[in-house]
Amino acid sequence: MITLREVQMNYPLEQGEVQVLQEVNLTIQPGESAAVVGPSGSGKTTLLLLLAGLDQPTTGSIEIEGTRISSLSADEMADLRRDRIGIIFQSFHLIPSLSAIGNVTLPLEIAGDPDALDKAREMLNRVGLNHRMEHYPNQLSGGEQQRVAIARALVHQPPLILADEPTGNLDKNTGASVSDLLFDLHDNLGTTLVMVTHDPQMAMRCDRQLHLDEGKLIEKMHEQADARSV
Amino acid sequence: MRALFKLAWQDLRGSGQSLWVLCACLALGVTLIAATGGLYRQVSEGLLADSRELSGGDLQVHARAPLPEPVLQWMNATGIVSLVTELDTMMGTMAGAFQLVELQSVDDNYPLYGELTLSPNLPLSTVTGKGNENGNGLWGIAVDPVFGQRLAITPGDRVEIGQLEFEVRAFITQQPDRSLSANWRGAPVMIAADGLKASGLLLPSSRIDYEYRVRTSQTPDAWQSDFFAAFPNSEWEVRSFLDQSDRIAERLSQVASGLLIIGFSTLFIGGLGVYNSVQAYLQGKLGTIATLRAVGLRDNRLAAVYLLQILIMSGLSCLVGALLGFFIALAGAALTATQVQVETAVLSAVLPCLIAFVFGILTALTFSFPAIGRALSVNPAALFRALDGVETQTPAAWWRATAVGVLLIVGLVLLVLPDGLFALAFTGAVAGLLLLLEGIVRLIRRGALRLDQRPGVRRHFALHLAMANLHRHGSALRASLLTLGSALTLLVACTIVVATLIDTIANTIPDESPTLILYDIADYQQPEIVETLQNEGASRIDIAPLVQGRLATVNGESLSASSNIERQREARDEHKLTYRSGNIDGVAMVQGKWWDEDLQGTAAVVMEDREANQLGLRVGDQLVFDIEGRPLEAVMTGIYRQKGLQTRFWFEAIFSDGALDPFISRYVGAGYMSAEQAISAQTVIAQNSPNVVTVRTATLLATAEDLLGKAMAGLALVAAVALTVSLLVLTGVMATNRSRQVYYSTILHALGTRLSVIRQSLNMEYLLLALVTSVFSLVLGTLIAVPLLVFQLKLPLEFPVWPALITAFGVSAVCLSLGARYLMRRLTLQPAILLRGN
Repeated sequence: MITLREVQMNYPLEQGEVQVLQEVNLTIQPGESAAVVGPSGSGKTTLLLLLAGLDQPTTGSIEIEGTRISSLSADEMADLRRDRIGIIFQSFHLIPSLSAIGNVTLPLEIAGDPDALDKAREMLNRVGLNHRMEHYPNQLSGGEQQRVAIARALVHQPPLILADEPTGNLDKNTGASVSDLLFDLHDNLGTTLVMVTHDPQMAMRCDRQLHLDEGKLIEKMHEQADARSV
Repeated sequence: MRALFKLAWQDLRGSGQSLWVLCACLALGVTLIAATGGLYRQVSEGLLADSRELSGGDLQVHARAPLPEPVLQWMNATGIVSLVTELDTMMGTMAGAFQLVELQSVDDNYPLYGELTLSPNLPLSTVTGKGNENGNGLWGIAVDPVFGQRLAITPGDRVEIGQLEFEVRAFITQQPDRSLSANWRGAPVMIAADGLKASGLLLPSSRIDYEYRVRTSQTPDAWQSDFFAAFPNSEWEVRSFLDQSDRIAERLSQVASGLLIIGFSTLFIGGLGVYNSVQAYLQGKLGTIATLRAVGLRDNRLAAVYLLQILIMSGLSCLVGALLGFFIALAGAALTATQVQVETAVLSAVLPCLIAFVFGILTALTFSFPAIGRALSVNPAALFRALDGVETQTPAAWWRATAVGVLLIVGLVLLVLPDGLFALAFTGAVAGLLLLLEGIVRLIRRGALRLDQRPGVRRHFALHLAMANLHRHGSALRASLLTLGSALTLLVACTIVVATLIDTIANTIPDESPTLILYDIADYQQPEIVETLQNEGASRIDIAPLVQGRLATVNGESLSASSNIERQREARDEHKLTYRSGNIDGVAMVQGKWWDEDLQGTAAVVMEDREANQLGLRVGDQLVFDIEGRPLEAVMTGIYRQKGLQTRFWFEAIFSDGALDPFISRYVGAGYMSAEQAISAQTVIAQNSPNVVTVRTATLLATAEDLLGKAMAGLALVAAVALTVSLLVLTGVMATNRSRQVYYSTILHALGTRLSVIRQSLNMEYLLLALVTSVFSLVLGTLIAVPLLVFQLKLPLEFPVWPALITAFGVSAVCLSLGARYLMRRLTLQPAILLRGN
């Protein structure tokens, strides 16, 4: 379970401090999928960063499965990401000098998994890239690169997947196929999925839609016109 | 064009940190070249000026009779000529004391370098001129003050020389060409040419030396060759100012070579700094270039934009670097001005700065060609995929432009560096070095890959990561190893050369040197002289025979008729011959050996290495010497080297016992005592044995120590500046090459790799690199230094272990640890930037 309490995030700028998130309270149950939507600059990516432990809130607390992550050191946070979190970037961020299989093996190798190669092969197989295993990122299409990135995020079967506009850099058809893949894996593996997206279709497929506007979080209930604060 | 310039400028302004790193590397590279070049020039010029002043001219033609008019005309056409006429004679005081002196008459051009000062401070012509009718009408002389004190004569006293009375009018307080002269005979007495004629001493039978000193803008070697070509059948001895004091000249020439080696190395290392920074900057511009192509900017205009950028950046950075180098050179020279009497003339430092500036821009442009060409080959489609690792290829036209640039750089190097042949050899050695390093890079990659495939390594993630960093495609291994390896090898070679040279210079003047030298001791005077020296407290006394003779034939070939110009020249020179026993000069055999103790039959001889090398002599050669018209045959059994500067003696051949007996008429000697005891002994010997010439070595040693001290300080200064700035350049290069690693490490951290694990893997990788580069540079640096020491500097091989080890391991440790530290610092950035798409 993910719990955010009174989370506030300020960024100091030359022109003064900017308040990116304001008193955000949120609870996400295990196995749920949540879409974070909102206009550019509303604080979507910041929320994801905080969930990944890649940034610390100015005030408030974040707990993941009962662990207050603001109290963790950088190494403990890295361990948490290694064991419990998978991240999918909008720009893929594959390591260019590693092949597809090399990139997917990486999280397992970090965790010291002795069956890393077999598991990575299996995952690439599941994302439909069994014929592209030895290809390098620059030899893959955008959709293929994102599928490798998804495989890399899921290969160690983390309970929490954080995805930052996973189809943002892809065309409509490829985006749809990647989206299908992501939700299929989420359903099959039972992971919690928090996804930042601009795509209403993708947002609709999530259990919950969290709307961010000027740093304030509003949850839109499916098929409900009214909104309520959470 | 204006629009392109605007675009280039805007893109430059938006380049952020990468721009500063590039500019810093460029400026440091140019600073290195300008600073060492400026210091090299100032130190060399300072030493050259000092040496010339101490020697009295660039060259000297020695004759027993005045030179014919055509010869003088030729000499006057090639430089300024000053005649010094010298004659040995006895001088008597009114008190009845007599002493052997060396009369010297000089012309108006004397001295060609430096200044003659007399006490009282009067012009030499006034001192040595004939008194007017109102005065005493006597010719005047100037004498050495210690000599005057010994004979109790002061200005105003009269002395007898030849048939005339002379008036002592001044003491010689400073005579620039005396300090290092190897031709002292008696105490110097300066006299006018007409006064010398009036003394009646210039008889046909008199042994008069005519020394024509020449000051010329030509190199001494070139002047000497032209002189021999113009007057091939002459017997006049021509010596350059460097020949006047052999050991000092040898050391100064070695220092010049040492400075040259440092100069070449810094040029290369500075070039590496410029090259790496340009490459790294353009690599970071791939995205911008692809975007500009995508929005329709044509390739030639795009190339113009980036060439303009390189020109703007390199122009400004090189200007800053050249100015920094200029001030470092001036400050370095000024800081050590008490030790190195270098002329802090602005002009001396300006030319190296200009050369460094041009070299920097040329290098930046040349090495930007392949990078720009490669960048232009980026397909804008890459923008839609991944720019990292995108396939790029430099088109042939850009390679051709690079080749032209490289030729221009090599041309510039050959043009500005003093030794073209050495420059070519150096370029070849560097090319070989880079090839070897490329081989090592491949070996490490292969080894790392194999190791990485082992299950044990893969289980240890930090080690696996370190190995992967070494073997994976696009790793920084090649750039790091090629740059650091080649630069470090040259630094190690320079360190070995400089350390050996400094050690040699420091040992040139041994701790224990004789303080009193004695010439022209007759056989019967030996016991008396020894007794006098013992009474004065000498701790050691050496007496050895001195025979002078010319080398006439080598293995039956007459030297004077030889087709070899060196042999022809040597045939003119008289050599100093002696025995091994009582030899004052410390010698060490470098080839062959001393003769057997029970030698019988033909005499044996060992030759001094400089003579032997000049003549191309080999152990076993049959030599015939001409001594006063009589032949002396001997077999050469070895070649020796003078250990250091001890006295003015420079025996060129040592014979087996008995061989010189028929020719010995005089001896030379040396006494080891305090300076005060030497003065006292000198007075006693002057009274009891007036024919014996005694010379105190205090001035000679002090002058030699001073000059060598300056040379050593100058060399150490240039080496220290070169090493420090090289360190900065290499650290900058290491940091620049590793910027991509920050990105990869950030991804790994975002995926859950602990920072400590990343640091551990970086430490392993850097440790391995440090070890490999250190060991490699130590071995190859030594291999490069050995031939430099043996063939270029002609120094004995004494491997300075600690300086070489400290340089090899110290520089690589500092560069890599600072590079790693830079990387670690950047790793503390939040990987949040990835999520933001940067």
